[in-house]
Amino acid sequence: MNLAIETKDLGKHYGDVRAVEHLSLQVGEGEIYAFLGLNGAGKTTTIRMLLGMIKPTTGTADVLQTRVRIGNREPWDSVGYLVEMPHSYPELTVRENLEVTRRLHPGTPRESISRIIDRLGLSVYADRRSGTLSQGNAQRLGLAKAMLHNPRLLFLDEPANGLDPAGIVEIREYLLELTREQGVTVFMSSHILAEVSRLAQRIGIIHEGRLLQELNIDELERNRRRRLLIRMRDVESAQQALKASGQPVEILEDGTLELVNNSAVDRPDDINSLLVSAGTPPTHLVVEEEELEQYFLRLVGMEGGTVHE
Amino acid sequence: MSDLLSMTWVELLKSIRSRMPLWTALGCLFMPLGIAFLIFVSRNPEISLQLGLVSAKANLMAFTGTDWPTYLGVYGQIIGAGGLILFILILSWVFGREFTDGTVKDLLAVPVQRGSIVLAKYIVAAIWCEAMVLVIFGAGLVMGALLKLPGGAPSVFLEGCALVIKVSILVLAVVTPFALLASMGRGYLLPIGVAILLMILMNLIQILGWAEYLPWAMPVIYAQGKEALTPVSFWIVYLTGLLGILGTYFWWKYADQNR
Repeated sequence: MNLAIETKDLGKHYGDVRAVEHLSLQVGEGEIYAFLGLNGAGKTTTIRMLLGMIKPTTGTADVLQTRVRIGNREPWDSVGYLVEMPHSYPELTVRENLEVTRRLHPGTPRESISRIIDRLGLSVYADRRSGTLSQGNAQRLGLAKAMLHNPRLLFLDEPANGLDPAGIVEIREYLLELTREQGVTVFMSSHILAEVSRLAQRIGIIHEGRLLQELNIDELERNRRRRLLIRMRDVESAQQALKASGQPVEILEDGTLELVNNSAVDRPDDINSLLVSAGTPPTHLVVEEEELEQYFLRLVGMEGGTVHE
Repeated sequence: MSDLLSMTWVELLKSIRSRMPLWTALGCLFMPLGIAFLIFVSRNPEISLQLGLVSAKANLMAFTGTDWPTYLGVYGQIIGAGGLILFILILSWVFGREFTDGTVKDLLAVPVQRGSIVLAKYIVAAIWCEAMVLVIFGAGLVMGALLKLPGGAPSVFLEGCALVIKVSILVLAVVTPFALLASMGRGYLLPIGVAILLMILMNLIQILGWAEYLPWAMPVIYAQGKEALTPVSFWIVYLTGLLGILGTYFWWKYADQNR
């Protein structure tokens, strides 16, 4: 598989501050790669280094098999991007803003403007000044600017920002269509983790400038913590019965029993039979899978919103 | 070359649609209107007396407005001093607005040389500045005609016109570093702040008698009389212009763009 993005030991230091450090990642062509991290984790600095806007202090970055050098014109004819906020010239109309983008990508046909306006649902606003657009439509214009010249690689920083739920689904479908039908690679950062888990094939988790983990979406499924939650009328008897059978049990604040052993999570029916035999039948029994959000917070040591040392 | 033409078109579109040229043109009209008003007042002492404070200044202006050669000479000085501030504002807007509006990032990872983008901005700023000179000088000529100034001859007009053009080119050369300041300061604040400091510095240096070596003072010295400047002065002006453009180009090409 050809690589759309490859970084080796990429780093950016500002004096003693290490914004990004030892970042080595690979993104295959046609892949949707999600870059997750808290605010200030180094996501945008990485994207800016990949786009040749910031000089790396260490390491190298290759984009579409071209070494990224600051101020060069390659490989940007095949790259589209939306970094941070979707800014545009407020006094120009949507169409004029796209005309500016078209001229910044020589060779892009004039018809591309109407095509992308239609595709991103901006037809009604085409001749409206961009300074008057709502946040959602400004985001659509930002995406339109990124996609206007049919790039092979898209860098999208928070692509769902400001979009309503219908807009999120629409953009998700469009990105999936681009990767499926045209082999476009998408490198996105997002904090809407549910959205990431629906869209991305690979996920990179960055924390304090370092890549903590890179995993496929199916690996994520395997790594997610699962637990069996049981409620019953007689908690003490149930706890004793479970302990007697060798199952470690935790009692949560609301009296729910939590079992994390694979033998319990994989075979909840056995646990149910055990409790029925012990005379404490469950009133509620459910296997709960950790959400990507919880997984992410656990990985960066911020379970429950606070840092765990 | 096609990139440069395309980028110049883009910069013209952004400038015109912002309506800033229109506002600067309206602002520029105050200069010739003000001069015409002072000449008019100085010629009509009865109005001058009624206006109190203004009459003192009008008396000072009285001799400058007597004939066309001196009147046109004043326009050279206006472009040299007022034009300096005006050109700095225009250049600061053309470069600084990309940072204020957050649009600079859209100009960086594109298949167009950053040099073409920077040069296009300078070209459009220069066109805009010269258009404003045309507005000021054109309105000045109309005012002069309405005031029926004496001493008008084709050679006088040609000489006045040449002086204004030459002074405006000198001003254009010395303001180029302000594009670098707008880029480094990522907005209008730094170049405008430096411009204010420069005005204070210019007064101080003039008192010390070194003004002919301060590039930003040279256009107005030139407008007052060419003999005050030496060839070294002109080299300083050209070098300032070149360093301003090169500095801006290298900053755009190599500086980290993290906003």
